[in-house]
Amino acid sequence: MSGAETTESPTGRFRTTSAEPGPVLAVLAGVAFWGWLVTRWLNDWVLARIGVGPGAGENFVPRGPFDAAAASVADVSAGLGVVGLPIEWTATVLSTVAIAIDLAPALAGAAWYTIVLTSVSIILGFFIAVPLAVLRVYGGPLKWLALAYTELIRGTPLLAQLFVLYYGLPLAIWLQDAPLVGYGSIPEQAFWIAIIGFTINGSAYQAEYIRGALESVDEGQLTAARAVGLSQYDGIRYVVLPQTLRYAIPAWTNEVVYLIKYSSLAAFITVPELYYVASDIAAQTFEYTAIFGLLAVVYLGIVLTATKLMDRVESRVAVPGIGRAEGRKQGDA
Amino acid sequence: MTDSQTDRSSRTASETAPLLRIEDLWKSYGDEEVLRGVSLDIERGDVEVLVGPSGSGKSTLLRCVNRLTEVDSGHIYLGDVDICAADTDPNDIRQQIGMVFQDINLFAHLTARKNVMLGLRRVKGMDREAARERANEELDRVGLGDQVDSYPAQLSGGQKQRVGIARALAMDPEVMLFDEPTSALDPELSSGVLEVMAQLVEEGMTMLVVTHEMRFARGGATGITFLDDGQIVERGPPEQLFENPEEERTAQFFQSISHE
Repeated sequence: MSGAETTESPTGRFRTTSAEPGPVLAVLAGVAFWGWLVTRWLNDWVLARIGVGPGAGENFVPRGPFDAAAASVADVSAGLGVVGLPIEWTATVLSTVAIAIDLAPALAGAAWYTIVLTSVSIILGFFIAVPLAVLRVYGGPLKWLALAYTELIRGTPLLAQLFVLYYGLPLAIWLQDAPLVGYGSIPEQAFWIAIIGFTINGSAYQAEYIRGALESVDEGQLTAARAVGLSQYDGIRYVVLPQTLRYAIPAWTNEVVYLIKYSSLAAFITVPELYYVASDIAAQTFEYTAIFGLLAVVYLGIVLTATKLMDRVESRVAVPGIGRAEGRKQGDA
Repeated sequence: MTDSQTDRSSRTASETAPLLRIEDLWKSYGDEEVLRGVSLDIERGDVEVLVGPSGSGKSTLLRCVNRLTEVDSGHIYLGDVDICAADTDPNDIRQQIGMVFQDINLFAHLTARKNVMLGLRRVKGMDREAARERANEELDRVGLGDQVDSYPAQLSGGQKQRVGIARALAMDPEVMLFDEPTSALDPELSSGVLEVMAQLVEEGMTMLVVTHEMRFARGGATGITFLDDGQIVERGPPEQLFENPEEERTAQFFQSISHE
């Protein structure tokens, strides 16, 4: 790609030499994180059914040895007083590992909900957001409709929106009667309502990001398209939007990251996603610190992966003069 | 009313009618009158250069011709089609009238070739291969056969403008409009663009050119129209306007730009 030609720049060299251990560690962490998740899903949904592996929801590693180790280390530190403090921390780490082993199967299952919830909502929301943003900028009188939608959605709390959809509307009842919902591995109605809620909510935010990018495309671009004989629709579609979406990627990444974490609100309408499962287990075991710490790690793993993916997309679609390539070029000058 | 009726009858009458006929064009933006009754006939093969101080309405006139700007009143006929009529599809008109812009406006996300291909594909409905071939030809014609895969950001201003010309030419226009095609370019970059324009003059293209390049006006124009304050002050062959203008204002204008 065009970015490659800038590797000889001073900044490029600086980056490659200083950052070498970073990417390696990041890749290792990524492989460990996704390796665990995928193995877990594979085990729980496929292998367990055919009788291979430890069985659905069973621990891969026994927690007993870690509990024992934590207990004996704690015993040692107790006899040492203040000097034993670092040893006591080791005990804490060991017992956190033990908790993590117990928690891992449930978190992996819940992570699936969080990931699907977020990615499906983002993608569906995107397809609403693009026409919405175009309407905002080029819609004439329909501008106000798009504006009203955006402001209504952005101006009210997401949780309230979810409650209205789940408790306020008869949506949940319709979905309950819908074929397949809640059968086998198909999630219950709350999950679908959460998707609807996040799609609507995300579409308003995404539309704003896209509108900003839309307005940053020079209006001469559309004029030129029209001068060639393209209709306004085709001009927007083939000339304005391809540039807009490239400009919008950084802001769009922001929305993806937000929604990953905001998807935890689905817990309040009983979707068994990450936060729901974690707080449920924490309430039973009272291991709040360890459990929410581990929860944070899982969110972090998902968020960093999403950021990395969007980064990839951004450089994939970069074109000299637009987006990433432009920034690099200016940096070289 | 009777005026417009005679227009209608006359426009189908003769075959010798000018290719582009501008009749009593009026346009204002708010309170500001930009065009005040401009009439101009362009024969096939004519190269008409529009000159005038900034704000005189030259660019607006060009934009009206391909309906990027709607007129308040008046008519523009391309052959026997009234461009300004409500039932005329501007997209049909724009295919027949190529436009080259001062700020070039190449599609920033597309290579030179794809800039030319877009109209061929989406307006003319050509298939990819045919469009690609045609785009290569047009870029060859403007001397950029070796830059087909370059993005606008990788081209010089002059090269970009030549792609802009190729993009317009690919649509097989009857008339080419040039809106100050070299004004945004460094002088040394504009010569390539002027060469391409001279080549078009050779080939007999009908052109309406807004420019301050008097080299081009002297060498290639069949006529020069001097506009000021939304009206045509004087029109004639280049020699007349350069050497021997009838109007005092024309003389003043040419004097002022010769000092630049």
